Amino acid sequence: MSQPTVTATGLTLRYRATVALRDVSFSLGTGVTGLLGPNGAGKTSLLRILATSIVADHGDLRVLGADPRTAPGRLAVRRRLGYLPQNPGFYPNFTAFAFVDYVAILKELTDRPARHDEVRRVLAAVGLSDQRTRKIKTLSGGMRQRVALAAALLGDPGLLVLDEPTVGLDPEQRLRFRELIAGLGEGRTVLLSTHQTEDVTTVCQRVIVLDAGMIRFEGDPVELATVARGRVWSSPVRAPEALVSWRTGTGVHRNVGHPPPGAPLVEPTLEDGYLLLLDPARAHGAGAAA
Amino acid sequence: MTTHDAEWHVDEEDLRRYGAGALGPPGLWSVEAHLVACALCRQRLALAADPRTVTAGWSRLDAALDVPSRGPVERAMVRIGVPEATARLLAVTPGLRVSWLAAVVLTLALTTLVSYLAQEAAAPMAFLGVAPALPVIGVALSFGPRLDPTSELVSVTPLHTFRLLLLRTMAVLAATSALSGCASLALPGFGLVVLGWLLPGVALTLLTLAMTAHVGPVNAAVLSGAGWIAALAATVHPGTGTSAIFTPAGQLWVTCAALVAGLALTATRSAFATSRHLNLTRSAGPWRNS
Repeated sequence: MSQPTVTATGLTLRYRATVALRDVSFSLGTGVTGLLGPNGAGKTSLLRILATSIVADHGDLRVLGADPRTAPGRLAVRRRLGYLPQNPGFYPNFTAFAFVDYVAILKELTDRPARHDEVRRVLAAVGLSDQRTRKIKTLSGGMRQRVALAAALLGDPGLLVLDEPTVGLDPEQRLRFRELIAGLGEGRTVLLSTHQTEDVTTVCQRVIVLDAGMIRFEGDPVELATVARGRVWSSPVRAPEALVSWRTGTGVHRNVGHPPPGAPLVEPTLEDGYLLLLDPARAHGAGAAA
Repeated sequence: MTTHDAEWHVDEEDLRRYGAGALGPPGLWSVEAHLVACALCRQRLALAADPRTVTAGWSRLDAALDVPSRGPVERAMVRIGVPEATARLLAVTPGLRVSWLAAVVLTLALTTLVSYLAQEAAAPMAFLGVAPALPVIGVALSFGPRLDPTSELVSVTPLHTFRLLLLRTMAVLAATSALSGCASLALPGFGLVVLGWLLPGVALTLLTLAMTAHVGPVNAAVLSGAGWIAALAATVHPGTGTSAIFTPAGQLWVTCAALVAGLALTATRSAFATSRHLNLTRSAGPWRNS
């Protein structure tokens, strides 16, 4: 990994009696890192801490050389941060240009000509130049996500925090969005929260698996797949030993768990490794869904 | 002008000088009038002019088309000298929308009418009771996730949330005070007591802001409103039906309350640095879809 731009040590966050994050430590460098985890894992809480929206109860955090727990550090981070929330809000009667222009003012770009040039630049970067004068309420879900991403890219941020940006998009929009995100990791740190393993496989150089507020894995996607080496096998019927089992398109069952002696092992995928890292109750739940 | 195919056209030298911006009136007016009607001369101009000038011209035109149009509130603010960027920030304040201002006007009209019909009373209680609550409701509508869809985005931008809150509050207070002031003019028979809404309005607004840091903007407004009704009920004279709040002594007490609320607000400034205690994020709970 390149020189760390984000270093978190022992982050803990509670909401009354609920512990959202438990002693979370990790570091990020330039490139795209996927934050993978099921619903309720604590991904959004962690992203909000990095985005300076909330402060952890315990632990140390350095973001782009600044400490976001202090007012000057928080301001320094915010000046170099691009944040795409899970449900970005819009003013539906604004045009795409007007909305990004509004966010640019919030990001201290007050010189009008320079600000408008920057708005045009980021809208071009997300492929929305031709749609810039359309009202947001007339744009598709994928285009709205791109408007929000354009707003996040204002000022060429050193850290880009994207909270489940591909949720709710149709397959084509998702592919286009992944293509866009893949290009953003050059020269900057991108943290992409998702619960879709395809997002990680296609665009991430590193992956962090978070479950029940704890980090279960930190490494590259290939290493995550190797977690399941020797733990995936095929069978004509559902294997009772499997933590997770599903019938594939060829009719055979793919099983993840503890293979019986002599079972025909198959090459593991990142998804297999991810399922094995989750706690057994969740893995069973995920398997049922699969 | 010169003849070409039995028609009048601009000669080459005039076209060149026009393209370079060196042609003065009245030749300039003549050439411009002709160019509007003559496609051939427009084509010749494009060839005769410096390509960099043409590109710059297109860029200016493009930029002019991008520029978001200003609504009536924003136009009015720019006209009275509010900086362009600040006017844009304020113009999106929900409490300054035309629909909200129309509701304020209607409410004031009704309460003024009721007070006018009760001319024999010592004070226009319907008007004085309602007018101070209007800025409180306006502020509650202007801040937080329920009515401002960009609140989560705003909370992580370099612009301090507290500054934005104060800007919006001042704008709402100014707008509602101006409207209430106009309504006061319709009740001259009551004398100076008709201006008794002003100090309670300021005090209730400051109190709402101070409580926002602890309970969120909507709850703070509800608590302030309930407190105001309780104060009116507790101070009303059973014989005259007039509250002691609108006497000189009562106004002095309200001024003291406003000062205390202002100090409390100043003390809570740092709580606006992150959204954790402000309920500014749009999720129903900390772990939603996380």
